[in-house]
Amino acid sequence: MLEFMDYVQHAFYNASHWNYENSYSQLTATARGLLDFETPRGLRLNVSSLSSPNFATSYNLGSIGVVDGSLSYLYTSLPIHATSQSGQIDLHEVIRGYRQIQELRKPEESWMWEEWQAGKRIDKRDTLFYGRLYLPQSTLEALYLRRISPTQQFKLSAVSDSRLRNGATILALHQYDTGKYSAETLYSTDGGLIGLRGLYNFGPDPRKEITELPRVEDRLYGRFSAGAEMYYGSLNKSGGVSFGGRFATLPAHKGVPLTATLTLNPLMGNMSTTYAVRAGKNAALCSKFDFNVYSYESDLMLGCELWRMKTKVPKKIERSMQAKLEWILDPVVEPTVPEPEEVAGVLKARVDQNWKIGLLWEGRIKELMFTLGSSFDMKRREQPFRAIGLELQYSS
Amino acid sequence: MAFNFNWSPLTADADFYKRAQEMLTTALNKSPKPPIIVDDILVNELNLGSVPPDLEILEIGDLAEDRFRGIFKMCYTGDAFLTLKTRVQANPLNTYLFSKPSFTSPQPLAAASGLTIPLQITLSEIKLSAFIILVFSLQKGLTLVFRNDPLESIKVSSTFDSIPFVRDYLQKEIEMQLRTLMMDELPAIIHKLSLRLWCPEYKAQEDQEIAAAAEKPEEVAIDPFASPPQDAVDSRGNVVDASEISSLTLDGGSEIHSLFSQKNLIRLATLTDSHRTLSLFTPSIRDAVFRAWAGPSERGDSPGSSTPATLGLIRSHSALGSSSTTYTFSNRTSDDGHGVMSSRSSQISLSNATTGLHLGAGRHSRSHANRKKKNRVVNLRKSKTTDDIASESGDSETSSVAPASEPAFPTRPIPEEPEDNIITPPHSPSGKVRFRTSSIDLGDSPRKLKPSRPANLSSMTLPEPASLDSTPTIQKEDAVIVPIYSRNHRPSLSASSYPMEKANNTTSAPLNASVPYLEPAPMLSTDGASAAGGILEQAWILKMAGEIARRAHDEKTAREGFWSSQSQSVREDTPPPAYQPKA
Repeated sequence: MLEFMDYVQHAFYNASHWNYENSYSQLTATARGLLDFETPRGLRLNVSSLSSPNFATSYNLGSIGVVDGSLSYLYTSLPIHATSQSGQIDLHEVIRGYRQIQELRKPEESWMWEEWQAGKRIDKRDTLFYGRLYLPQSTLEALYLRRISPTQQFKLSAVSDSRLRNGATILALHQYDTGKYSAETLYSTDGGLIGLRGLYNFGPDPRKEITELPRVEDRLYGRFSAGAEMYYGSLNKSGGVSFGGRFATLPAHKGVPLTATLTLNPLMGNMSTTYAVRAGKNAALCSKFDFNVYSYESDLMLGCELWRMKTKVPKKIERSMQAKLEWILDPVVEPTVPEPEEVAGVLKARVDQNWKIGLLWEGRIKELMFTLGSSFDMKRREQPFRAIGLELQYSS
Repeated sequence: MAFNFNWSPLTADADFYKRAQEMLTTALNKSPKPPIIVDDILVNELNLGSVPPDLEILEIGDLAEDRFRGIFKMCYTGDAFLTLKTRVQANPLNTYLFSKPSFTSPQPLAAASGLTIPLQITLSEIKLSAFIILVFSLQKGLTLVFRNDPLESIKVSSTFDSIPFVRDYLQKEIEMQLRTLMMDELPAIIHKLSLRLWCPEYKAQEDQEIAAAAEKPEEVAIDPFASPPQDAVDSRGNVVDASEISSLTLDGGSEIHSLFSQKNLIRLATLTDSHRTLSLFTPSIRDAVFRAWAGPSERGDSPGSSTPATLGLIRSHSALGSSSTTYTFSNRTSDDGHGVMSSRSSQISLSNATTGLHLGAGRHSRSHANRKKKNRVVNLRKSKTTDDIASESGDSETSSVAPASEPAFPTRPIPEEPEDNIITPPHSPSGKVRFRTSSIDLGDSPRKLKPSRPANLSSMTLPEPASLDSTPTIQKEDAVIVPIYSRNHRPSLSASSYPMEKANNTTSAPLNASVPYLEPAPMLSTDGASAAGGILEQAWILKMAGEIARRAHDEKTAREGFWSSQSQSVREDTPPPAYQPKA
C-alpha cells in the first residue's frame, strides 16, 4: 500500500499531467507490484492529513523492538484536489498490483502553460517540496520536484545521515517525456554515479494526429516498448548496463489483459522474464524467471493477487419534505448505472523456488486502511515465521 | 636465562591445522561481512610456513613456573599463507546499492542484477610488526594482546587479479578484515586454544558440548537433572537435596553450572584429608600442581593435634584450614562455614561422654602429624586413564566416590609404610590395632585416612544423628549420609573384599536408602568403629567437598572478573592480573 506522501506525490503527477509510468524504470512495475511487495514488520501507524490543497503532513510511529517514527511534511505549489480521507480513498489508487498501461497522451504544448497579465508572463512552474525526519535515527530525507516544462521534470532527492560515508547523498534526476519516448539522466553524489535511461514506445506517435483508428479486432491489441539503461560510477570506475522490452495490452484490448517483459543484463549475463495476466476481473497472476548464463543460477517466482469486492450499502433515502407535505411517497428512481463495487480487501501472495512465501492482506476497516502481512520460510521447518506485521493508516 | 621458542612442533601436530582452520572460519564469519561477500568465508588452506617470527623480549613482568607476563616485539616476514574460499557478488552496481538509502537510489531496473562467483583468495607475504603483551597462567590460559595494529602489509592474490578495481577492492577489504581479526578475534582464539590445552575442565566441558551436539537425539539421556548426582553441591558448598534439584531447570544459569561441574571435588577432599591426616595415600589428580606446604602454618597443626582430642579438634581443624596447601580452606567467613563450625562444636560437646577410644586415635593422629612435617611437593601431572575410569564408575553413586575411586589406583610402594606399621600398634587398643594393622598391611590407603582425622570424631556416631535436626546444614546431608549407613549392614569391612563391596555398593546403596540411621551405632565394635569412621569420613569429606565447591566457585568468579576488572583482591595463589595498557 502506498504511503500517504507517495499518494500525494502521485496526485501531483496527475494534476500536472506527468505520465509517471512512461519511464524505463517503470517497465516492470506490474511484476514488482505482484511479486516484490514488501511485507510489513511489526506494528506501524500512520496518521496523515492533507490539511490544505497545498500542504500535507504525516506522522509515522512504528515498533520493531524499539519504537521509532518519522515526521514528514509536503508542500506543493499546485493545489491537489485528491481524496484524502482514508475512508473514501479508492483502494485501487493506493494498492499497487497489476498495472494496466494506458493509451499515450499527447503532451501539452509549452504555450498552454503560459499565463500573461499586463504584458508579462506570470505563470510559475509547479513545484513540490517534501521532507521527512526519521527519529531516533536522525535521518533526514528531502525531495524537490519541479515541472520545468510540459515534457520535462526535475527531481532532486537527498538523504542526510551520519552513517553515510560523506554524511549525505544527493540524487539528481532529469526526466524528459514526449510520450513516444522518454529519456532520463541522473547523477548521484555517491560514487559519482552517472546514469542514462531511455524508453521507446513502438506504435503510433501520440504527438501526431491519429489518421487511422486502431485495429482493436486483432488478436492482441497492445503496445511494445523497449528501453535501455546505463550507469557509470565515475569514482569507483564501475558500471552497469541493461536492456529491456515489454509488451502490454491496452485497455481497448478485448481479450485477457497481459503484460510480458524481458530484461537482459549483458555484462552480468542475467536475463529475467516476467509474465502477468489479469485472469479475471478480480484476480491477477504473475510469474518471473531469472537465469544467469554465466553462473547458471536461476530463480523462479510466482505470485497472485485477489481482489475481494463488496457491493456498496445503498444509501437510505429519506422521505423528502415535499413528499411529506403532499402525503405521497417519493417517486422511485431506478439507478441507471449499477453502483460501482467497493474493494473489501486485496490478498497478495508470492512463493519462490526456495519456498519463501509472502502473504499480504490489504483492506479497510471503517476509516482505517490496514496492511497485514507475513513472510514464511518453509525450508526452515522449526521456525518458518520470518516476520509478521500490521500497518494502519489514517488520513483526513 | 634463555627462552626456547619452538615454531615447527606447532605445525607438526596434524590436528592443529584442522582446529585452527575451524576457529578461523568461525572468527571470519562472526563479524558483519562487506556486501560483496555473499557467502560464508571458508578457510581452505592454512600454513604457518617454516620461517619463525623474530621475537624480542622487551619486558618480563612476572615469571614463575606456572605463570608468565611479558611484552614482546614481534616482526614477521615469513612464508606463511592462507587460502580462503567464498562467493562474491561480481556486479559492482549491486554492492553499490547495498546499504544505500533507497530514497536516493537510482533504482536501476536490471543493471543491478547479481552474479555470484566463487572466489579463492590467497593471502601471502604477510608482514607483521607488533608489540605483543603476553600473559600466561596455568589456570587462566594464555592471553595475547596486540598493542598496536600488527599488520604491516599483505599480498592478496585472487581470481580477479586482472581487474584492477576488484583487486584493489579486495585488497582493501581484506586488510580491514584482517586488522579486526588480529586485534579482536585472534586473542580470543588463542585464549580458547590455550584453555583447551591446559584446563582439563574446560576441555572436558567442551568435549561434552561437542558430544551433546553430535548426539542430539540422545539429549534426554545427557540431561543432568534426569539422574542428578546424589551429593549435588551448589556453588556455596551446601548439599542440595533431591527435591531442590528437581525444581531446578536446565537453563537455570551459572549456579547450576557450578553445581554439577565439580566432579573432582571429592577426590580433592580426599587429597586434602590425606594432607591433614598424614595418610600415605595421595590420590592423583590429573594436571594439578601442588605447592609445597608452607612452613609456619604447618607448624600450627602439631599443637592442635597434640592437645586432648576433644578440645583440640576445632583448633586443629582451623589451623589446618589455614595451612597453605593449594586448596586452602581459609575463607570460612561465610555463614555456611559458621554453620558447619557450630554444628561441629555441638557434636564435640556431646562426644565427651564416649569411651577412651578416641584417645588412642588422638595419639595416632599426633604421631602422624609429627612425622609429616617435611615439605613436599606433590606433582600429580601424570595422566592416568585408570583413575578416570574409576571415577566414572563411581559417579553413579557419588556419595561413595571418594573411597570407591581410590582403590582403583594402582597402589604404589610407599616408603613410610613399615614405619607406620611400627608406630601404630602399641598406641592403640588391641581391638583397634587389629583393624588398623590389617588395613595398613593391605596398603589400602583410603582406610587409613580414617583413624588419624576422624578418630576424634569416631565417638560421635551416637550423637550425630541426634544433632542432625539441630542444624540445617547437617540436615541437608541426610540424603547423602544414608548410603554410607547402608554399608554398615555388611558384617565386616575387610579391605580384601573392598572392591567387590564397592561394586555391590554402587548398585545396592540407593535401595538401602531407607535403612534407619541409628541401627549400627550402639555397638562400638571394630566394625562399628570402622563404620563410624566411615560415616564421619564421609561427612567430613562432604563438608570438605562443600568447601572446595565454594572455593572453586570463588575462583571461578575471580576468573570471570579477570577479564572485566582487576579490582579483585589478589590471593596468594592466584596468578598475576593480566596486563592492561595505561591508556
